[in-house]
Amino acid sequence: MAIEFKKTTVVFTDFIGVEEAETLLEWLLKNPKGKVNLSDCTHIHASSLQVLMAAKPAITSMPKDEDLAIWLNAALTS
Amino acid sequence: MNSLLEQFLSEARDFLQGIGEKLMQLENDPTSNELMVELFRFVHTLKGNSGLFDFPEMTRVLHASEDLMDAVRDGRVSYSQTLADQLLEAMDFVGMLMDEIEATETISHKHAAPAAELAKALRHLLTADENDSNELDDILTEAVETQLIENSIDFERLPDLNLPEEIGAQLHQHALKGDKVFWLEYTPESDSFFKGEDPFYLMRQVPDVAWRNVILRMNAASLAEMDVFSSQLVYQVLTTAPSEELNDLLRYVPDEYKRIEIPSLVFVKPCGERDSHPVDEEFIQNALALFDTGDNDALIRIINTMLQLTAPDLWSSSLLRWVVRLIEREPNNRAVQRALLESLRTLEMPDWTNLKAVQIPNALSIQTMNSSSESAPKAAPANSDNELLQNFNTIINAQKEILNLSASAGGVWSAGRLKSVGSSIVGCYKTIGRSQDIDSIELALKNALAQNSPAPLLNWLEKSLTNSPELVVASAKSETITNNLAAQNEVKFGRRAEDATGRKIEDAAASSGGNKTLKVDQDKIDRLMSLIGEMVVAKNALPYLAARAETIFGVRDLSREIKAQYAVINRVAEEMQDTIMQVRMLPVSFIFQRFPRMVRDISRKLGKEVDLVLEGESTEADKNIIEALSDPLIHIVRNSLDHGLEQPDVRIAAGKSGNGKLLIRASQESDRVLIEIIDDGKGINPDVIKHKAYEKGLIDEATLERINDQDAVNLVFAAGFSTAEVISDLSGRGVGMDVVRSAVEKVNGTVGIESEVGKGTRLYLSLPLSMAVTNVMIIESNKQIFGVPMDMVVETVRVPRTHIQTIKQKQTTVLRGRIVPLLPLNDLLARGVAQVPNDADEFATLIVRVHGEHVGILVDDFRETVDIILKPMTGILGGLGGYSGAALLGDGSVLLVLNPRELI
Repeated sequence: MAIEFKKTTVVFTDFIGVEEAETLLEWLLKNPKGKVNLSDCTHIHASSLQVLMAAKPAITSMPKDEDLAIWLNAALTS
Repeated sequence: MNSLLEQFLSEARDFLQGIGEKLMQLENDPTSNELMVELFRFVHTLKGNSGLFDFPEMTRVLHASEDLMDAVRDGRVSYSQTLADQLLEAMDFVGMLMDEIEATETISHKHAAPAAELAKALRHLLTADENDSNELDDILTEAVETQLIENSIDFERLPDLNLPEEIGAQLHQHALKGDKVFWLEYTPESDSFFKGEDPFYLMRQVPDVAWRNVILRMNAASLAEMDVFSSQLVYQVLTTAPSEELNDLLRYVPDEYKRIEIPSLVFVKPCGERDSHPVDEEFIQNALALFDTGDNDALIRIINTMLQLTAPDLWSSSLLRWVVRLIEREPNNRAVQRALLESLRTLEMPDWTNLKAVQIPNALSIQTMNSSSESAPKAAPANSDNELLQNFNTIINAQKEILNLSASAGGVWSAGRLKSVGSSIVGCYKTIGRSQDIDSIELALKNALAQNSPAPLLNWLEKSLTNSPELVVASAKSETITNNLAAQNEVKFGRRAEDATGRKIEDAAASSGGNKTLKVDQDKIDRLMSLIGEMVVAKNALPYLAARAETIFGVRDLSREIKAQYAVINRVAEEMQDTIMQVRMLPVSFIFQRFPRMVRDISRKLGKEVDLVLEGESTEADKNIIEALSDPLIHIVRNSLDHGLEQPDVRIAAGKSGNGKLLIRASQESDRVLIEIIDDGKGINPDVIKHKAYEKGLIDEATLERINDQDAVNLVFAAGFSTAEVISDLSGRGVGMDVVRSAVEKVNGTVGIESEVGKGTRLYLSLPLSMAVTNVMIIESNKQIFGVPMDMVVETVRVPRTHIQTIKQKQTTVLRGRIVPLLPLNDLLARGVAQVPNDADEFATLIVRVHGEHVGILVDDFRETVDIILKPMTGILGGLGGYSGAALLGDGSVLLVLNPRELI
């Protein structure tokens, strides 16, 4: 599973596809203080990316994938 | 290749053909609405089909063609020669792409640029003629663009992006070196996820990204209402990648991104913490003084000292570093350096727009790939008041949008945004001559800046608009315009789907209607053909069986019954054979249809005026014949155009009409197709031909004296003959007519020529209707049977031995007053056996016509004539001269069919 919902954190691994966006949004709505761990993530589909950008959850760790990290940095911190 | 693609290619070729044809017809009848509609339908369907595949280049060109045709159909653009030329060129391009797809199944991305060019050229035609209807588009895009240029996208939007100084410095260096730095803004269509796209992934593929940003343009008020499956992101990237690479990467979304080349000056932008107190005026004066004297070394020295004294992350430090950088990189760009130094006083960004006139006259080139902005004239003056108002409103509305955006986004860069919006509004009000409002705008701006909120400006705008009814009216109008546009866009989005499904429905409707056409692979027809051949052979075995039943087994009744059955099978088989033949039949229009275009192109190139008349296009012949005919015919037509028809002035001088007439006529004569190519040109001068042939050593002196005019004209068919003085790209290579003759003879055809000097030339080709069934006469020689095609046999006679004379060791006889050479078949086949005469000492002689002359072939005996399916020799036997093929007989034996032409 590329996306794993824990109690307070959601962990992204590898590739997050388009279909995860809805569940992600639901989870973030239910857990407004939920955190996101991206460290093992390699790519996020644009749909999930916009959920992250809209919900602005706390990111516990940025991806190890450098390119993705740069992009997410630009997207999530501006 | 998958079958869908295969079908697409075969259909697309038909469409291309159809489009070419329709265009030709339109040339003669430019006002015909019916033709126009049909033409549009072709282009439209072809485009729709191409959209099913991954050929963006093809679709783009077709799309542009479709738009153009649409405009022509609606009468918005008038049909013209240039338009036809452009469309034909586009279709040629599409044809070329199709060849490539056929060969490789893909389109190389090197075609992207020509495709864009073509599309642009087509769209240019659209706009050149269509200022009125595209006005809305124009105004909108123009408004946006002028805004981009005037208020400078670079100074309003890019600074907002807040490039770190190092990146700015790096890009500045890049831009100075002449490497292009592009700013890409990619706004995917909101339904792009449903098309399986991942815009984010696409943007991550952009190479050499120096800076990137993603902006969320949420389409819902709250998170809970957010539609996650509609794309709401805008991606912005600064990249130094070459433009081809970007084009290639983004070739599927050409309408969804904007690409702007950023001039180096844009990157000159100090950043950092705003200084809490102004920079020491003395330093500024010193620096400016040094700058004015041109003492750069000293200037850099004092700047470095200053830099050591101030905190490095201050805005002024950043500015000073930029000054040093500029002195090093662009020592001649003094205006910019000075402006920077001077802005130390105000601690505000220098206003590059004042410098722009001298600094970047051409550097700022906006290259939006957006099709509508591409087609818009860049700086159409707003000549009417109404237009001006509309422009005004578009800009004001855009500013409102920006303000609303900043209201939701907030953040550090809203100050810059507010200022830019303020100056845009001031500019707009100045333009419409309401300078009295400017003070209040500036007041509102100040308030807005103080509160760091766009509300005061927004309020002011609302108030101002409601207080000015004329503006409101215009504003409302512009609202509708925008709405209309939105609606139009929606329609366009929907079109893609509609193209695919709508077309299917159309097709279904077509197939349920009268038009029931099946496309069948030729191989299948050929297979059917050979099967019916076998069937005929098997059927022919029945009479043998009947004979055996009677003679060997002595059962007459059974024999009779077999014969009756045979009659039935025979009838069915013959009918079947006929039908299959007809399936293979093609109308000659298949080759004729390319002539209008060809004649048009060639005659234009040669500067001749030609009226082409095609007759008997529905005459049918076997596919193989038709196909074999196509190259010789093209040759002949070219010859007629090049050598036959004269230039208009020569024609008029000769008392003919200026327009040459070229008639291509097909007709059926019993079992042969006759094709004539008749021109009313200068004809062929037999004397010239004779002497040319003599010069080239094709005939000797004696022949030169003796030869009659008709024979002389026939010399044009001799190998290596050419009358043209100069070799042109059209003709004159000496491989003309003899190639034509051999090609025609290969399919058992004949070719002839008649010409009258000054009047014209008539060339005629006579071809069999079908090659499939050949009527042959069976002959016997040296206890073997052979077939001879009946169409070559003139007559069969029995020549008594006494009537044979030997002239120069050649046997001849006199038949009906003419000398006929006699050739024993056994000699021709090198059997070394004498022919066997019959009991009355007469030789069976087959008189055949070879190259217009009668020749007698001595054989042992004649047999019956049969219809056979002639199979050409293949493989090693294929090289065997003297035989045109072999066939199976009813009793299962193989019949070799002679080719007397080669034999003799």
